[in-house]
Amino acid sequence: MAPATQYELSPPPGDAISALAFAPNGSTKLLAASWDKKLYAYDVAKPDSSLIKTYEHRAPVLDVCFGDNENEAYTAGMDWVVNKVNLETGEMTEMSKHAAPARCVVYSPAHGVLISASWDCSLNLHNVRDPSSTPIRIPLPGKPHAVAASPSKVVVAMTGRIINIYDLQTIQNLFSSGQTELKLWQQRESSLRYLTRAVACMPSDAGYATSSIEGRVAVEWFEDTAESQARKYAFKCHRQPAPDGDGDIVYPVNALEFHPVHGTFASGGGDSTVALWDAEAKRRLKQYQKFPDSIAAMVFSKDGKYLAIGVCPGFETGQEDYSGEGKTSILIRELGDNEAKGKGAK
Amino acid sequence: MGKKRRGHADIEEILGRPWCYYCERDFEDLKLLISHQKAKHFKCDRCGRRLNTAGGLSVHLNQVHKENLDHVENALPNRQGLEVEIFGMEGIPTEVLESHRNRLIQNFYQAQEDRRIATGNPLPGQAKEPRKKIKIETAEELKTRLREWRARRKEILANGGSLESMMKSAQQQAAPAPVPAPAQQQQHYPGQQQVPPQGHFYGQAPEGIPARPPSGPPGVAGLPQRPGGDNIDQLIRMAEAGVKPAAEPEKASKKDKKGRMFYDDAEISPEERMAKLPRYAFTAA
Repeated sequence: MAPATQYELSPPPGDAISALAFAPNGSTKLLAASWDKKLYAYDVAKPDSSLIKTYEHRAPVLDVCFGDNENEAYTAGMDWVVNKVNLETGEMTEMSKHAAPARCVVYSPAHGVLISASWDCSLNLHNVRDPSSTPIRIPLPGKPHAVAASPSKVVVAMTGRIINIYDLQTIQNLFSSGQTELKLWQQRESSLRYLTRAVACMPSDAGYATSSIEGRVAVEWFEDTAESQARKYAFKCHRQPAPDGDGDIVYPVNALEFHPVHGTFASGGGDSTVALWDAEAKRRLKQYQKFPDSIAAMVFSKDGKYLAIGVCPGFETGQEDYSGEGKTSILIRELGDNEAKGKGAK
Repeated sequence: MGKKRRGHADIEEILGRPWCYYCERDFEDLKLLISHQKAKHFKCDRCGRRLNTAGGLSVHLNQVHKENLDHVENALPNRQGLEVEIFGMEGIPTEVLESHRNRLIQNFYQAQEDRRIATGNPLPGQAKEPRKKIKIETAEELKTRLREWRARRKEILANGGSLESMMKSAQQQAAPAPVPAPAQQQQHYPGQQQVPPQGHFYGQAPEGIPARPPSGPPGVAGLPQRPGGDNIDQLIRMAEAGVKPAAEPEKASKKDKKGRMFYDDAEISPEERMAKLPRYAFTAA
């Protein structure tokens, strides 16, 4: 077995990382969205000269996702705009504009649907297959904080512990029908008591995981039967004993990602640790050594061989100022063959 | 070694089993323990190589993978340290060995006691000593008691005492005879404590009260009466198991122990807070 390694991409982004994305189709291209208003493209297979290009935005970039191929990306930013970025030429096209910062973008290649979520409490649905079409605005009952797509569904986590689930096929049908009213597939109340921090969907399309600011992760299933709903559970994680010995410090779980091959998932928290979990067996597979700072974002490569971890200082309650400058880094972990493989239910 | 009768190992056998310092699991023999340690605690997660000790793994990680080992995998929270060099049963600090031994002994006797209570069988080797003699009154004794009771009723009625208090004291008198079931006994305790001293005959009443089971330490008497009333069996079992009543509130407070949250705003996300900082502000043109 080839020795698995961990290395840092250089140069790192100039400020805090908001999102990471790996290219589709087994490419080793990694995108990093940063608060320094730039989008960074790296090639993780070249540890020494990994930076390919940067793409200047008008405002901090809050999220990024790839389009149909490794040269097409979408970004959401503080300037309210959802952009399409041609990664080869650097050309940027405005896809739509919200009435507040755009927080998340997700793209479903199977449906050609690009979804952006904004703090103006709305989703914009873009039909990528028809560039001339106008995006459809869908109002939300709360401010969205995290969005994730499974092969057939989109999960939107909002303030007030509301979770809306939409069906991607319904969205696609909406485009062809010309209507603008999207019927949501299901609304759920979050299983977690605190503000949702991250959402990730199982690659198997069976369910999703959510995490909150209060060191906890919940795993739920889409299937709406009593048996499936009875299977959902939540657990505590990303807590560290307080230095004064009095109780624990509870950190937010900032990042959740399912492994595309093994179906296990990783969580990254404000406690600077990353853990691998087996959702089926309800077991922790691994806890990595502490990273230099809080984990802001994480992503597995599509073949599951790499785990990219965005590290920068976490934002703490009561913090007056913030800067991730000089303290931000992206670490690539080359996973061993069975590193993220579940051990099977015991 | 053949299997013991009833499948319950004896204490020497239990204490003789090798066990793992890191996770407190015990094993049939030393070889199994060592292979457990190599697989669970000293295995390199990068290449799967099984080392003999945590120190060995640390050196391996350092030299082969350029990484540092900061804790032992799959270990109990307070046993993750690399300071102790463990190989099989070697290297376990004396105080840890001692506390493990004590815990085994305590568990062993507790399990034995639990079995005794669950099955009603006497402890091994104590079969001849009956736990409790059932008192059977002869007809003569019964008659004597009836006579005493009548005499007392007469006395109380003559002194203007109420029949009600008479009945209460009669109940107390009757309690020990003939076969007091444990559950019945329990029912009388609270009532008894509430009975206010009644005239001069109060002094007589305690004679008829069955003694509390001697096994209960003073702590149990102090247990608050819980609604629903737990039966005496459970109290005894708790006492025998060494569970102190104070343990309960302690446990509850541990559960209540709230950690300090690094970020505790339930409405506004850290990103929204950051977005408000002048550093990141964007004013739409």
